[in-house]
Amino acid sequence: MTTVIHMGPTVRTCMNTDAFLTLTQWLSPGFPVGAFAYSHGLEHVIDTGEIRDARTLKTWLEDILRHGSARNDVILLTAAYNAAPQQVDEIDAIARAFASSHERQVETVDQGAAFARTVDAIWGTDVGALCYPVAVGRAARAEALPLPQTAEIYTHAFVANLVSAAVRLVPLGQTEGQTLLAQCAPLIRAVAELGRTAQLEDLASCCFATDIAAMRHETQYAKVFRT
Amino acid sequence: MTRELPSLLKRAATPLDQPRAIGGAFVSSKCGAAGSAIDGLRQSGALKLLFPRSRRAVEAVLINTAGGITGGDRFDIQAHAGAGSQLTLTTQAAERAYGAQIGQTGKIRARLRADKDSTLRWLPQETILYQDAALCRRLRADLAPSARFLMVEPVLFGRRAMGEDPTRLQFIDRIDVRRDGKPLYRDGTNLIGNAATLLDRPAIGGGARAMASLLWCAPEAGGKLDVVRNIIGKSGGASMLCADVMVARLLAEDGFMLRRSLLPLLDLLTETSLPQSWRL
Repeated sequence: MTTVIHMGPTVRTCMNTDAFLTLTQWLSPGFPVGAFAYSHGLEHVIDTGEIRDARTLKTWLEDILRHGSARNDVILLTAAYNAAPQQVDEIDAIARAFASSHERQVETVDQGAAFARTVDAIWGTDVGALCYPVAVGRAARAEALPLPQTAEIYTHAFVANLVSAAVRLVPLGQTEGQTLLAQCAPLIRAVAELGRTAQLEDLASCCFATDIAAMRHETQYAKVFRT
Repeated sequence: MTRELPSLLKRAATPLDQPRAIGGAFVSSKCGAAGSAIDGLRQSGALKLLFPRSRRAVEAVLINTAGGITGGDRFDIQAHAGAGSQLTLTTQAAERAYGAQIGQTGKIRARLRADKDSTLRWLPQETILYQDAALCRRLRADLAPSARFLMVEPVLFGRRAMGEDPTRLQFIDRIDVRRDGKPLYRDGTNLIGNAATLLDRPAIGGGARAMASLLWCAPEAGGKLDVVRNIIGKSGGASMLCADVMVARLLAEDGFMLRRSLLPLLDLLTETSLPQSWRL
């Protein structure tokens, strides 16, 4: 990270003081992207009773990680990180086109825009409004943060956000939720690693039911979450 | 008289040497005085096109004379709806992807184009994936800003009524639809491994063995969202990606149940001009 600190008449530039802390800040639940408002369709399947405890939630999360959007987000993040500036618009357009429904698009577009706004304001980067994984990829590249950790912490934040949604909605005990998140750690690491070797051509899923859940959330009668 | 054979042909046959089916088809439509008419047509190998009489659109029915697709087969389809014309493509029957030899993949490529004010409909019937099928499909569509486009891709994972439940499958599907050159809709499916076990998982298929994806680009799409949702019911969903782009996904326990919602849905979206082959 490049921070310009004004100290009296001299200007001191500290390079890469701590990449890890920057990533922790960017991807913490407190970073103002409004992550708490998005359940990724989870609210629908909790409403129908399909997800009702830690066990049913775990199966769902594992598939989103292995076969669904978590893996695809890593692919998009990686492509954005490695891209030349003139390729970013195309990657962002692909990310939008790949969103499987209106709410999925809202989720990635709005969080991405909020993320970029905050990072650009504080770190002086020029990320601009991009889909969430694309924005994170570009910001990490601009700040020379390491890609493997960016992908890992991004994926962890993604899962942690869904766990916290479930803790509120199912409801699930805090300890149960955190146990589940800890159990997901090896898979989070594996998905972040595999996703980094994939190309945009590999964007794919077989989580048909999660796509449908997100679509059906649009017409859900009583809901707390935006998606 | 004997002729020198290339050394490759002289070696003993191995189980990997299945006969290969290769087929190509190209069709384009134009807008004439009496409505849409065929503009260009080419067919080769195992792909044939039939043109039943139809009212407004050129209706092209694809026939795979090889009777199915297996490892190493290659099919290339190109369709082009010229300015102001209507072109509908479908298949004569379900496409069957049979078990492939290890390391051999069947490939289907479709390249579609819809010019200014045209209507292009890509409505193949079900693709049935049998045990050990290895199929890789790629569809690319380029739409003009004023073009209308309807696409459906139904897939059956074995035929449940026949007691089939594929436990070894490799299904790779990529769809890339662009409007004015920019990505509009992109979908990718990887279903690799034990399809039955995967599809039983709640986040994947919830026990379904039939799936369909649908894309509809038309100015009136937004106004039809509620009707579409009613037809689809609980086992699927529909959503607007933007004001005139509707997407839908359906899951059903088998092909019969999938058709129960797919047929009325396609009747609605084709204004009851769904190709006859769908009802035979």
